[in-house]
Amino acid sequence: MDKPKIGTCWLDGCSGCHMSLLDMDEGIIAVLARADIVFGPLVDAQEWPEGVDVAVIEGAVSSTDDLKLAQTARARSKVVVALGDCAVTGNVPSMRNGIPTRKLLERVYVEGATARPGVPTDGVPALLKQAEPLHAAIDVDVHVPGCPPKPNAILLVLNELLEGRKPDLGSKLRFG
Amino acid sequence: MTEKVKVRIDGEVIAATAGQTILQVARANNKYIPALCYMEGLSAVGACRLCMVEVSGVARLLPACTTPVQEGLAVATSSPQLQSYRKIALELLFAERNHVCAVCVSSGHCELQTLAQDHGITHIRYPYNFPRLSVDTSHPRYVLDHNRCVLCSRCVRTCDEIEGAHVWDIAGRGINSRLVSELKRPWGEATSCTSCGKCVQACPTGAMAEKGFGVEEMTKQRTVVSRLTTMREGQ
Amino acid sequence: MMIQDFAAFSAVREAGLAKLLPSKPRIAVGMGTCGSGNGAEAVYSAFASEIDARGLDVQLVPVGCFGFCAEEPLVNVWVPGHPLLMLHRVQPNHVDDILNGLGLGEGHLPPTEIVLCKIEEWDHLTGHVKYGTGYPDVPNWTEVPFFNGQVKIVLRNCGLINPDDIEEYIAVGGYSALYKVLIDQTPDAVIEQIKASKLRGRGGAGYLTGNKWEFLAKAAGPEKYLVCNADEGDPGAYMNRNEIESDPHSLLEGMLIAGFVTGANKGIVYVRAEYPLAVLRLEHAIEQAREYGVLGDNVLGRGFDFHIETVEGAGAFVCGEETALIASLESESGRPRSRPPFPAQKGVFGKPTNINNVETWYNVAPIVSKGPAWFTETGSAKSAGTKVFSLVGKVHSTGLVEMPLGTPLSKFIYAIGEGGTNGRDIKAVQTGGPSGGCIPVDMFDTPVDYETLAQIGSIMGSGGMVVMDADNCMVDVARYFIEFTHSESCGKCVPCRVGLDKALRMLNGFTLGTATNEDLGALDELCRMVRDTSLCGLGQSAPNPVLTSLRHFRQEFEDHILAKRCRAGVCEDLALSPCENSCPLHMNIPRFLQLYKEERVEDAFLSVILDNPLPASTGRVCQHPCDNRCRRAAIDEPVNMRDVHRLIADEVLLSDKFETMVGRVLERKLKPTGHEVAIIGAGPTGLTCAYYLALFGHSVTVYDSRPAAGGMLRYALPEYRLPKAVLDKEIELIERLGVKFQFNVNVGEAPTLNDVAHQYDAVFMAIGTWKEAWVYLPGTELTGVIPALPFLESVSRDAQVPVGKNVVVIGGGNAAIDSARTARRLGADVTVVYRRERKDMPAIPEEIEAAEHEGTKFIYLAAPHRILGDKNGQVVAIEAVRTKLGEFDTSGRRRPVPTDEVSRIECDTVILAVGEKVDPDFCKASGLKIKEGGTIEVDRYSLETSRERFYAGGDLITGASNVSNAMGIGKKAARNIDKRLMDQERAPSLIPDFEYQMETPETPSECARHVPAEMPAAERVQSYAEVSLGLTPVAALEETSRCLRCDIRSAER
Repeated sequence: MDKPKIGTCWLDGCSGCHMSLLDMDEGIIAVLARADIVFGPLVDAQEWPEGVDVAVIEGAVSSTDDLKLAQTARARSKVVVALGDCAVTGNVPSMRNGIPTRKLLERVYVEGATARPGVPTDGVPALLKQAEPLHAAIDVDVHVPGCPPKPNAILLVLNELLEGRKPDLGSKLRFG
Repeated sequence: MTEKVKVRIDGEVIAATAGQTILQVARANNKYIPALCYMEGLSAVGACRLCMVEVSGVARLLPACTTPVQEGLAVATSSPQLQSYRKIALELLFAERNHVCAVCVSSGHCELQTLAQDHGITHIRYPYNFPRLSVDTSHPRYVLDHNRCVLCSRCVRTCDEIEGAHVWDIAGRGINSRLVSELKRPWGEATSCTSCGKCVQACPTGAMAEKGFGVEEMTKQRTVVSRLTTMREGQ
Repeated sequence: MMIQDFAAFSAVREAGLAKLLPSKPRIAVGMGTCGSGNGAEAVYSAFASEIDARGLDVQLVPVGCFGFCAEEPLVNVWVPGHPLLMLHRVQPNHVDDILNGLGLGEGHLPPTEIVLCKIEEWDHLTGHVKYGTGYPDVPNWTEVPFFNGQVKIVLRNCGLINPDDIEEYIAVGGYSALYKVLIDQTPDAVIEQIKASKLRGRGGAGYLTGNKWEFLAKAAGPEKYLVCNADEGDPGAYMNRNEIESDPHSLLEGMLIAGFVTGANKGIVYVRAEYPLAVLRLEHAIEQAREYGVLGDNVLGRGFDFHIETVEGAGAFVCGEETALIASLESESGRPRSRPPFPAQKGVFGKPTNINNVETWYNVAPIVSKGPAWFTETGSAKSAGTKVFSLVGKVHSTGLVEMPLGTPLSKFIYAIGEGGTNGRDIKAVQTGGPSGGCIPVDMFDTPVDYETLAQIGSIMGSGGMVVMDADNCMVDVARYFIEFTHSESCGKCVPCRVGLDKALRMLNGFTLGTATNEDLGALDELCRMVRDTSLCGLGQSAPNPVLTSLRHFRQEFEDHILAKRCRAGVCEDLALSPCENSCPLHMNIPRFLQLYKEERVEDAFLSVILDNPLPASTGRVCQHPCDNRCRRAAIDEPVNMRDVHRLIADEVLLSDKFETMVGRVLERKLKPTGHEVAIIGAGPTGLTCAYYLALFGHSVTVYDSRPAAGGMLRYALPEYRLPKAVLDKEIELIERLGVKFQFNVNVGEAPTLNDVAHQYDAVFMAIGTWKEAWVYLPGTELTGVIPALPFLESVSRDAQVPVGKNVVVIGGGNAAIDSARTARRLGADVTVVYRRERKDMPAIPEEIEAAEHEGTKFIYLAAPHRILGDKNGQVVAIEAVRTKLGEFDTSGRRRPVPTDEVSRIECDTVILAVGEKVDPDFCKASGLKIKEGGTIEVDRYSLETSRERFYAGGDLITGASNVSNAMGIGKKAARNIDKRLMDQERAPSLIPDFEYQMETPETPSECARHVPAEMPAAERVQSYAEVSLGLTPVAALEETSRCLRCDIRSAER
C-alpha cells in the first residue's frame, strides 16, 4: 500500500509556519517515514496533485491565486489543516482589510514608490477585497493557531492525522 | 449587614455573607466563573455576559457579577449550554474588532486571549468585521488602540470610581460604540486626565498600554484597583 | 375654574355635557396625526369657512381618532335627537353636501359613499351618552366588520370627545373615579381592586400592575415617582400615540389615582419627541387639569398633592426599557443596567419608582369605577381585559383595534381586518413589534394572550400586528427586524451588540443565497445565545423574529440557499425579475419580449422554446402567475406576457419557419452521453423532462398508457381552449430531438417498475392525477352521473357522450368550468352548483366569465345533498342544501355551513368535478414512500424518491395542480437527473448568448394592456373552434414595449 500523502502550501504568510514545520528537527524524519510530502515549497510538483491525504496550508487568503490554490487543495485532499494565525484568523495580512484595495495599492506602489511608480498588473494576481482566514474560503478540518505554531504542536497534529484521529488541540495551544 | 447565608455552587455548600454577589462568593472560594467586564474593586455592570450561571428555580440565566446571594441559592457554573454560550461570546468579541495577537504588546498576558484558550477556541466561526479603527497615541505615556478594545468599561469605572476624574466614557450605540476620552478629545489633550495610568492597568487586553513596550512585553498590575479599594475601605 | 367641592365638579360636568350634546348640530373632525395626515385639517377648515359663510349655528370641534385608519378622515355629525353619524373618507368637497342636509331629517343624509355607520348611544364606562335613534338605513357601528367584536375600554373616549377640553372629559365621567377614590377609599382598598382585576402591564412584559403598585406603596421614603412610558418605538405600532392624542386626561387620571394609593407625588410622562401632537395635547391637558384643580397641590380640595411633567425622549428605541428610560430621565445616556436593584427600590434619581405603559394607565379609571369583577368579565382567565392592537400590513382594513385578550388571531385578520389586501392569501402575522415572532397562517386559531403568544415564540409586546402575504419573504422579514434591533442596540452587552451584528451578516448571506446549510444551525444557535444571555429586554427578545421564522418557515430559508430561490421575489439577488421569479418554468420573460420588440421573431422563439417546450399550449392555458407580479401593474395593468409568447410560438410552429427552427433547437443539443432514461407519463411534466434530457444528450423513452402524448393537455383540456393541432406541433418538435414514445403501455403492470429500473440509468415518473375524487352522496350510482375527467376525455376523443338536455355540474375548479362549457357546446342547459362564493372558485376567473357569457348558470352557496332518480335509475333532479358562510378557515375563506333550506334542480345529467387525485394502486405497487395525501414522497430539491435514481414529479407529487407548475417540476427533474448522471451543472450551457438591448426604457409605452379578441359567445357555443383569437403582431409589438425591464440592474448595486 502507498504511504499517505501530505501536501503543504503557503498563501499570504511569512513562511514562518513552514520554518516551524522544518523546526521539528528529527521529528520530520519520523513523519517522512510514514508519509510522502507530495507538494510544497520544497517539492518540485507544479500543481497540487490528486489524492492527497493531509493538506497543510499556511497563510491568509489574500489574492485570486490564493483562493484558487486553496480551492484546488480542498478539492483534492481528504483533510485540510489551517496552519498558523494567518490561516486561522487572517492575522497580519488582514490588517489591511479596513483599507480599500485600490487605495492600498496606490499608497504602496505609487505614493510610496521611489522609482517607476505604478500599480503592477502583469503577472501578479489581483488582490481580494479582504484577506480572510482560510475557513472563510474553504472548509477546514483542523485549526492550528500560533504565530508560528510550536514545532511539537505541528508534529502532534501530523501524527494524530496519520493515525486517522482528529487531533484535539483545544486548550493545548495559545489562541492568537 | 453581615447576615450569613449558605449557598451551593456546583453542588458544594459554601458560607457567604448576604449582599455578596454570586461571583464574589465563587471567587473567594476558588470556584472559577469567567468574566471580563468584572473587576474586583469596581462596581459591576453585567456587560460581557461571560459570567452567566444557572440558578435553580430560575428559568433564565443570571449574571453572577450582579446577582446577590440568598440563603439556599443553588448555582451551576459550567453546564454544556453555558460553556457553549461563553464560547460564542468570546468568538463574537474576536470577530468584532482586529485582535491581531501577533503584533500585540499584551499577547501572552491578555485576559481575552487566556479566556479563548480556556474555552478551547481554535478558530472563530463568525465572519470578521475588520472595522477600520484608530490608535490614539496623543498621550505622552500611554496609548489607546481601539482595535483591541472589548468595551468592558473597566477603564471608565476605574477613572470615575477610583481616580474620580471620569476621563473615559462610551459614545455611540450598538456595534458603533467607542471608548472616548472627555468629549471625544484625543487622550493627550484631555485636561481631566491625571495620567495616573490606573485605566491602563485595569484594561484586560492590549487596548491600553504604556508606550515603549514591544510585542508580549506589556504586563499589567491587575490588583492596583482592588488594593486601593480595600485600603480605602479600611480607613 | 378651580374644582374644590362636589358642586363645582357637577357644574363642570353639566357645562361639558352642554358641549358634547349641544342644542345645535355638532360636527367633530377626527384630527389625530392619522386623520391630519389624510387631509382632516383641510376638511376642518372647509367646514369652518363654510359654516362661517353661511352663518350656521353649528358647533365644530376637533376630536381624536376612532381607530379606523384605512378610512380616514373620519367625521362625526350629530343632530340633536338623532344618532351620531360617522362619516369616512371625507374630503373638503363633501362639506357642502353634509351641511346642506343638516337638520333636514332622515331623508337628507350625506352621500352614502361617505356614510360609515351610526352610534345611537355610547358607553364611556365612567359615563353614558345617549345620542338618539333613527337613520334606519344606516348600519349600527357594531355592524361594520372592522368594529364588530371590538370592546372599547382603553379607547372609550377616543374620537368622540374633544381632547383639548377637560370639560368634555368630565362630562363623560372623567375624573369621577379619582374623586371617588379621594373621597371614600383607602389606598390599600384600591390596590386590592387593581390586583383583583388582574390588570397586567400593557407594555409587553405583562407584570401584574397591582403587585407593582404594592411594591411602590411599601417602599420607604417620602419621595416616590410614577412614570408613564410613552416611548412607543415599534415600527407599525401607534396605539399610545393615538390614546394620548385623543384622550390625554384618562392618562392623567390613571396616574393621579396611582399617586394617591402608592404615596407618590411626582409623575413623569416620558414621551417620544417624534409625537409632537401627542406632546402638545398632553401638555395642554396638564395645564387644564391644573387650572381645574385636578392636578397640582390639593387635588379636588382633598389635600392630596400630585404633579406631572413631560419629558421628551431623544429617539432611542432602547429607552422603552425601564432602566434605560430611567437613565435617560436622569440625563444619562440611555443604556439599561442590571437588575437588581429594581426601580421600585431604586429608580429615578435613586428614588422608588413605578413605571407603567400608557395603555395600562388608561385601564385604571374604568376598573375603579366599575369594579374588578366587571373587568375580569372581558378577556381570558390569565389575561383580563382588552388590548389595543395596531393591525397593519397586507390586510384589507387597517387601524387600531381594541379586542378582548384571548381573541383568536383569525378573528383579527379575517373578521376585523377582512382578509388580505386585494383578496390575496395571507401567510403570517408578526405580533409584538420588532421583537415579536412570525406566526404562520396554520396557527391562526392561537388566542392572543401573554402566555399563549410566549409559548409559540412570539410576544404580545406593545400590540403591533403586521400581516404578511405571499409577497413577503420571511427571510427578508427576519433580516429587516434584526437590522432594526441591531441599529437600536445600546452596545453595552456583548450578545446584543456583536451577536445581532453577526446575525444580521448571516441573514444577509441568506438573502444573497450565499449562506450554507451549516449557517442555518449556526444562526439558530447564535440567536438562542443572544436571547438567553442579553442584558435587557431588547437583546433578549430581538432574536424572536429569526427564531420563530426558523421554526415555522424553515423551508423558505432552505429555498434561499439550496435552490437559490426566493418565492416571494423580495430578495433581488436571487431573481432575474419578478415575472421570471413567479414563472414555474422560470422563463426569461424580459428577454423574449425584448427580442420580439427588436423584431427578431426567430430569436424570440428560440429564447421561448429553450425555456419552455410547450409555449403555444401554455400560452393558452397557463394560470399566468407572472401577471400578479408584474411591476407594470403599479402604472396601469400587467404586461400580457402569456399572450405574447403564445403569438411567438404560433408564428413559428404554425408556419414554414418550423423546419428552420427545429434545426436551430437541434444545434443546442449536447453531444450524446450514452445514458438512457425512462419517463413514465407523456403529460406536460413528462414531455418537459423528456425534452430537456434529450437536449442534454441522453437517450429518452417516454411510456404512456394512452394512444398519444399530451396527457391532460390532450385528454382533459377542451379543443376550444387548446386546439390539438398546436399541441401536435409541439410534440413533433420534442420527437425530432430524438425522444422515443411507447404508447398504450401500462408501466407498473407490464413492464413492472423493476423491469424499467434494470433497463435505464434513471427513471422519472409523472403519471398525473387521473382518478376522480368521488363525493359520497346518495344517487351517484344513477345513470346520468358522470365524473368530469372521463366526460372531457370522451369528448376529446370524439366518442359518443351520454349528455342530456339539462346538465348540472358540481364543483368550482377548472375541470368544472371546462365540463360546463363543453356540455353547453353539446347543446345542453348547464347549471354549475358551488358551495362557496364566486370569488372562492379555484378556476381561472376569465374562464368563469366566459362560461357566464355562454349562458351557463351558476348557483353559489349550495352544496349537493342527494341526486334523485326515477324508477329506471335515471337522474331526474338534484337537491342542494343552501349554505351560509361560517367562521374563517385557515385558507382565509369562510367555511360553508349548511342551513335547513333545500332546493331542487331538475336535470338529467350530473357531472361531478370535485377534484382529482393520484392513482393509489400505482403508488402502492411502486413500493416507494408515500405521503399522507397519497402522493409520492420526493426530496424537495432533487425530486428523487425513496428509491435511488427514481425521480417523480408533476401532479404525482403535488396532487392536482396546473400545467405550468407541472412543467416547472419536469424541467427541474431533468436538470437534477442530468446533474446526477453527469456530476455537473449543465443547464446554463443549453442557452446561447442572445445579444439584445439591455437598457431600461426611459419612457415605456403608454399603451393600455392588449387583450386578445374572442369569438362572440353566441357563435362559439356552436362549435369547438378556439375562443381566444390571440394577439395581432401589432398588438404584441406594442405589448412588448410596455415592459419596464426589471431584469436590468444598475451597475452600482
